[in-house]
Amino acid sequence: MNLSTLPSALPIAPEILQKMLNAMIPADADDADLYLQHSISESLSLEEGRVKHVSASTAQGIGARVIKGEVSGHAYTDRFETAALMDAAKAARAIAANGHIKKPLAVRPLASPHSLYLNENPMQQVDLAQRKALLEHIDQLARSIDPRVQQVFANVSASFSHIHIIRMDGAHLSDERPLIRLNVSVVVEENGKRETGGAGGGGRFDLTRLIDTNEAERLTREAVRIAILNLDAKAAPAGSMPVVLGSGWPGILLHEAIGHGLEGDFNRKGSSVFAGKLGQRVAAKGVTVIDDGTILDRRGSLNFDDEGTATQRNILIEDGILTGYMQDKQNARLMGAAPTGNGRRESYADPIQPRMTNTFMLAGKDKPDNILASLDEGIYAVNFGGGQVDITSGKFVFTTSEAYYVKNGEIQYPVKGATLIGMGHEVLQKVSMIGDDLALDPGVGTCGKGGQSVPVGVGLPTIRVDELTVGGTEA
Amino acid sequence: MSDSINTYLDKSMQEIASQLVDIAKQSGAAHADALSIIDTGESMDVRHGKLESIEREDSRGIGLRAFIDTGKGLAFASASTSDVSEKGLKQLAEQVVNMANISEPDPDAMPPIGAEHPSADELIAWQVKHPHQAHGWSTEQAKEAALSCEAAALAYSDKISNSEGASASFGETSIAYAASDGFVAGYERASSSLSISVIAGEGESMQRDYAYTRARIAAELRNPAEVGQEASERTLRLLGASGLSSRTTTVVFEPRIATSILSHLVSAINGRAILQKRSFLNDAVNEEIFPHFIHISDNPDHPEGMGNRLFDGEGTHCSARNIIESGKLTGFLTDRYAAKRLGTKPTGHARRGLTGDTGIGTSNLILQPGSEDLHAILHDIHDGVLITELMGFGINGVTGDYSRGAAGFLIENGKISRPVQEFTIASNLKDMFANISHIGNDLTWFGSMAVPSIAIANMTIAGQS
Repeated sequence: MNLSTLPSALPIAPEILQKMLNAMIPADADDADLYLQHSISESLSLEEGRVKHVSASTAQGIGARVIKGEVSGHAYTDRFETAALMDAAKAARAIAANGHIKKPLAVRPLASPHSLYLNENPMQQVDLAQRKALLEHIDQLARSIDPRVQQVFANVSASFSHIHIIRMDGAHLSDERPLIRLNVSVVVEENGKRETGGAGGGGRFDLTRLIDTNEAERLTREAVRIAILNLDAKAAPAGSMPVVLGSGWPGILLHEAIGHGLEGDFNRKGSSVFAGKLGQRVAAKGVTVIDDGTILDRRGSLNFDDEGTATQRNILIEDGILTGYMQDKQNARLMGAAPTGNGRRESYADPIQPRMTNTFMLAGKDKPDNILASLDEGIYAVNFGGGQVDITSGKFVFTTSEAYYVKNGEIQYPVKGATLIGMGHEVLQKVSMIGDDLALDPGVGTCGKGGQSVPVGVGLPTIRVDELTVGGTEA
Repeated sequence: MSDSINTYLDKSMQEIASQLVDIAKQSGAAHADALSIIDTGESMDVRHGKLESIEREDSRGIGLRAFIDTGKGLAFASASTSDVSEKGLKQLAEQVVNMANISEPDPDAMPPIGAEHPSADELIAWQVKHPHQAHGWSTEQAKEAALSCEAAALAYSDKISNSEGASASFGETSIAYAASDGFVAGYERASSSLSISVIAGEGESMQRDYAYTRARIAAELRNPAEVGQEASERTLRLLGASGLSSRTTTVVFEPRIATSILSHLVSAINGRAILQKRSFLNDAVNEEIFPHFIHISDNPDHPEGMGNRLFDGEGTHCSARNIIESGKLTGFLTDRYAAKRLGTKPTGHARRGLTGDTGIGTSNLILQPGSEDLHAILHDIHDGVLITELMGFGINGVTGDYSRGAAGFLIENGKISRPVQEFTIASNLKDMFANISHIGNDLTWFGSMAVPSIAIANMTIAGQS
């Protein structure tokens, strides 16, 4: 088959795409592709009791990429005039030393390896007026739950991205990627003291799931609960102590502490503290960590990555031993490994990087109650804001948004947000108990790397870490 | 690439923006404004003396904000597209007007008419003072700069064990704005930058740091070799870093890190956040929130600033403003909407993207330096910690509570004694502002912010025991 049989949804004429390919692939290229994207997104925001603002964007563009050895050339444009497209194709191949061009390709459609989510616009069943009503309901509900609620902010956003990847081997894959998210946050006030709390959720599914379930109500109650709780929060302790992490979103520990350090680019270049540690113990016995891009409907899932490689379930750490890195095609080739379906880009305008999908620890056998009861004195942290890592020294941080001071196995009082800091190559070796309650996060994770943001998921059972530094103010 | 901005367009973006405002009115908008941004440029990475990647960017977008009259006040919506054909503009206008019909009217809405725009004379004077300059780099020149930057970094010491590479980029941004009161203006901005990150040590004792330079035109960048050497010097001094014990002490932020303190201030005096009661400085106007020796200003026309602008995201004329005068907060930063609600004059701080609601942003923020150099400050502090790196996002904007990961150097007996890492610093921003004890004379520019070293007393350090 040739390009003329590609789906009609292509916003660029097939013969023009063929012309770009014909002009851009050097004879000695290791890889090349075109990445064509059309995305729509809509967002409604409520504040001060009113949906004051509705916004939308439509973006389309094409990225052309050529790879040879360690070198890559990338050009993109959102102008679909032929001259602009050919400029991009020629710019992508500017890395090639010789002028020879690979012979034209036989482009053929390739079926998607998975069907993990809806392939329709997630917005079409729920119009803007219904979304507005949902936000107004959240506002009223939040205010009715507790009179201390002073401000309610709610946002519902949805996007639908249509991707075409045309690989050097002629395979043409296309994917339709829905993504929705609902966020609720409140400001509460009591005796002149203000606090805030928030909750969110989402994934690759239709907006009807927010309307037909009690998800909006659950998130609203959660946001109010956390804000009220924080009104009574005392200063967190300062210093090194045992920490019990709750299940679900606290899995951000894995994302920061070891996830980034196991991305192929950093290990090929030797800049990660985990470089050269394959086969070595990096975590306590019983710790198994997975990155899985194939979980149904999840925010971090993809039918195939942004290079057209099928996503899969990759074991990163098995029973404490480092077993694998996450790879895109270029880093896999240079390291003599197989691609793992982790080559991702924020959009056509960005280069490919090895990135995480959904990263979690498998459940153990301990009962969560027993894990908490084991804590003589320390912190029990069940919810977090963001985190960050330095993959070279291994330092990582993540900041609590709901945490408690625990003494003699009993929760004493909630503590203010505190940053926890540790070393990625040490922290999992200090895991001494693993709960039987693995949970994935509610669908709120966004990961930043080299200026690119991509949606990700995390998961964790309740675990006990024998030692972490807690950044409170109570010496 | 300086000649390529409008290569494929037969109309200027200013004309297209005006045309879009007219189409919006024909589609039922009472008022509208349009913003267009064109970015072109190149960036490249070199590593271990070889080109590793080269990227060419070419993006264009236009955003429309439309207000409709509901009879109960104005309601508005916004959207953007990269399709600037007549058909694309028409679709965009219809989409935004439809969406505005969903929005709730706001009696305080501020449509894009009657802003305090710069005059025609001021627009011309600005163009004369800030003529369009090309970034001044070819691909080959940028690559050479990156290569010599990395070579100087690697040659600096045998202890530099690896390179994450050097990057060079250059480009131009063209911005046009049109409002339904007839105001139309545009400007172009060039930028160029060079950065490098290197690693020292091996295995679990590896450390890395970076250095960079940014300017409008390549000729104003720092010498590439000097940037490379700075990265290596910064990295080497971290070798052997270890933990430290918990304590309450004075913390010194070097200028690169001290910029974050100004960012937290700007977030807290954002007029929109004030309306939403989301700031710990909600009731702080005219209060002395800093010691009397602190002066902070926003200057939209500074020879060294990268944030120069004649008008803000709503076309409001920008002028220099003292934000903190002798420690006292003079007022909040506002767009036209926040100003109306707060009963003040707009300060010209509206920040707009192609789509989404108006935000707040400063132009060039400057913390007036003191008279002491870092050496004298350390001597005066006697015991404390010099912070050269901060990690994480542990800031609660509503309460001011602050807790972040940090790394740097222990100060003992008035001198730097050893590198330290894996600890946190915590306090509350209100206390941190009030507890500033010293301001350095080492004013350093970081794009659109200029900050000297800042010392803050009484911060809690959480360390290993």
